[in-house]
Amino acid sequence: MYEIDMLLKGFANLAADPVTLLLALMGVALGIIIGVLPGLTATMGVAILLPFTFGMDPAPAILMLSGVFFGGIYGGSITAILLKIPGTPAAAATAMDGYALSQKGQAGIALGTATLSSCIGGTFSVFMLIFLAPLLAGIALEFSAAETFALAVFGLSIITSVSGESLVKGLIAGFLGLLLSTVGMDPMGGFPRFTGGFNELLAVPFIPVMIGLFAASEAFKSLGQPASRAEVKVHIGRIIPPWDVFKGLIFTILRSSGLGIIVGIIPGAGADIASFVAYNEAKRFSKNPENFGKGELKGVAAAESGANACTGGDLLPMMTLGIPGDAVTAVMLGALTMQGLQPGPLLFKDHAGLVFTLFAGMLFCYAALLVLGLSSLRLMGKVLEMPRSILTPLILTLCVVGAYAINNSMFDVGIMLATGVVGFFMQRWDYPASPVVLALIMGPMAEASFRRALSLSGGSLDFLYTRPITLGLLLVAAITLLLPLLKHLKGDGGGPTPDGRTVGAGTGGVK
Amino acid sequence: MKGYRFLTGAVVGALASASLMVAATAAEYPTKPIELTVPYAAGGGTDLVARAYADAAKKHLPQSMGVVNKTGGAGAVGLTEIMAARADGYKIGMGTVEITMLPHMGIARFTADDFTPIARLNAEPSAITVNADSPFKTYEDFIANAKANPGKVRIGNSGTGAIWHLAAAALQDKTGLTFNHIPYDGANPAVTALLGNHIEAVSVSPAEVVNHVAAGKLRILAVLADERSPAFPDVPTVKEKGVDLSVYTWRGIVVPKKTPQAVVETLRAASKATVEEASFKETLTKMNLTLAYADGPEFGKVMQKDNTFFKDLMTKLGMAK
Repeated sequence: MYEIDMLLKGFANLAADPVTLLLALMGVALGIIIGVLPGLTATMGVAILLPFTFGMDPAPAILMLSGVFFGGIYGGSITAILLKIPGTPAAAATAMDGYALSQKGQAGIALGTATLSSCIGGTFSVFMLIFLAPLLAGIALEFSAAETFALAVFGLSIITSVSGESLVKGLIAGFLGLLLSTVGMDPMGGFPRFTGGFNELLAVPFIPVMIGLFAASEAFKSLGQPASRAEVKVHIGRIIPPWDVFKGLIFTILRSSGLGIIVGIIPGAGADIASFVAYNEAKRFSKNPENFGKGELKGVAAAESGANACTGGDLLPMMTLGIPGDAVTAVMLGALTMQGLQPGPLLFKDHAGLVFTLFAGMLFCYAALLVLGLSSLRLMGKVLEMPRSILTPLILTLCVVGAYAINNSMFDVGIMLATGVVGFFMQRWDYPASPVVLALIMGPMAEASFRRALSLSGGSLDFLYTRPITLGLLLVAAITLLLPLLKHLKGDGGGPTPDGRTVGAGTGGVK
Repeated sequence: MKGYRFLTGAVVGALASASLMVAATAAEYPTKPIELTVPYAAGGGTDLVARAYADAAKKHLPQSMGVVNKTGGAGAVGLTEIMAARADGYKIGMGTVEITMLPHMGIARFTADDFTPIARLNAEPSAITVNADSPFKTYEDFIANAKANPGKVRIGNSGTGAIWHLAAAALQDKTGLTFNHIPYDGANPAVTALLGNHIEAVSVSPAEVVNHVAAGKLRILAVLADERSPAFPDVPTVKEKGVDLSVYTWRGIVVPKKTPQAVVETLRAASKATVEEASFKETLTKMNLTLAYADGPEFGKVMQKDNTFFKDLMTKLGMAK
């Protein structure tokens, strides 16, 4: 087969060029560090590194950036699991079950599963990129505003599956997020809404809100705990999951990878959406959906494999059609252009050798991610052994630096601290944070694409039921939204459990 | 007595040396690194132009230049910061055409008069681009169709009130046609929608569609420019078609208004030499961007002209505040 032949040649090219491999390895390592730090996203990592790659040859330049991209998406899971700080938006879904596992003393196995799932999901997506790119690229062009709207509605319906113990409280949190998401520039009219005259609020400061709700609130909580009671020794434990545990995860990982790839191909949808979609489907197909949110390994596996499978999916339309689906690939497109390579069908024809060297390098990046990830986990796990008196201020410092770093703005730090206080009380009264984050991601997308679709159709609502993809996604959304409600009405599951506690309050001493 | 005289001498001496030092600092500007503020995110076009400029400027200034991204509010946050910076030449900014647009929308605290122009570096015109499958082969076809179907032709732009929306709106204004303007979240998504045949045209710059034109997926019908683009010599300007209109986005170095003349002169001279650097030119070429150097006073005229143009246009569109 042509592809296999070319791929082997690509590996041969790489093997002859150890510097390129070293740079790719450095990229992955940098990416993991960037992912671990809250506020520094994969997009930012790639953008910051971009000018340094101008002097390099195309292969090392693009592979180093790919390494940062892949590592950045994965790295967010480490802090999400250990400290409930999602380093990147994609890791917000991982934090739910990952942190719960950590609280149960299974941090190691959660981290190991996250690393394995990331690597499998990512590798799978690179293979799709190699073998099915021309077939799948068309999906990207099928997606117009109507389809994007339906996807966003589906995303919003996932609130029901990330609500934790109480569906009602989840929905309240979700609507709070939707309200917040209306702040900013009106997507169609181009005028400011609810900004109070602050230019900083022209776009919803999504990442500071996320850091505040997840990380700062957790830090505030531990500030309120007397040191003597809080010193629970948590050990990292076993890292590689035993085979009979992993066996149960394989289907989840494969399904999530497939979903991640498709979400990645869709323009405007990235790893954050992929991880939530994968999480939702893992819960839907699970025999024990009530375990999700309380430390279900499948939740971690789904979110991480979905997020990393998204990387290959993202790159697919960028390389084959020259259309970047999200912010990271827009920067990567710039990188390719600066190397004198014009992405699109001609890239595969004129530079086939290089393209397959890049593919081989991407597979190497994921192998490197597995090795670097697994070998650094024990070190990262030391964080758990830190006394709270050191860890809490450290977390707060990271929160401040992370919130500042996004826009070099103190305003964002203020937003982060304010939402941290809100998050503290939400946690105290058992309101989950994930629905807010999900609503902030999906809300603006749903609004803008709905109004754009209306504009495209000249004001007719027919697009809601005449377009097959739109209709399909809306139906899935309706099912996702209504099933838990029906279950709730029937009284089996979905409602508050007798003890009525959320995951976040696992070791809680606040009450 | 002796002590008194000594004291006087010391004071005079100190004053003299202080005034000498003041004179020396003005002459020696810059004595510390310069910060170049970019109002858009790292990795974007404006950022890359700024980084290439900062890098090439090292050879023409005794101090280095560092790029700082201050994003938010469609550029308003960063531009406000440049406007409010201490006018000593150590914080300069990458100004964009938005300087002449945002003030009229009521989302900026600055006006175009709050900046002293140093040098324009780059300019890109608007262009009318259609899908290669489109039945419209020429600008005339396109206009004839728009005339026959008022409000039906959907033109994608990079956001309401953003430069490419205003370009399409200006074309509508000059030709008396009615388009259906579809705002996207930047130029890339608009181009993607055009590739998928979800809209009829886009009004973004040739640089933003050049890859797809080269691949035979898209076709540029006309540029809204004063002269034909060197990259597309076969594409006519709308001026040739009898529409007196040109709309450009531009990027250039600006400083706060009160910056001392000597500093402005130093930066102008350095910029003039910087744009001649091979590395700077090469970066622009690789990004398919057009070098459009204009010295301070000339750049200032462009700013003034655009400021009036956009003010009138936005008032007509009902967007002005």
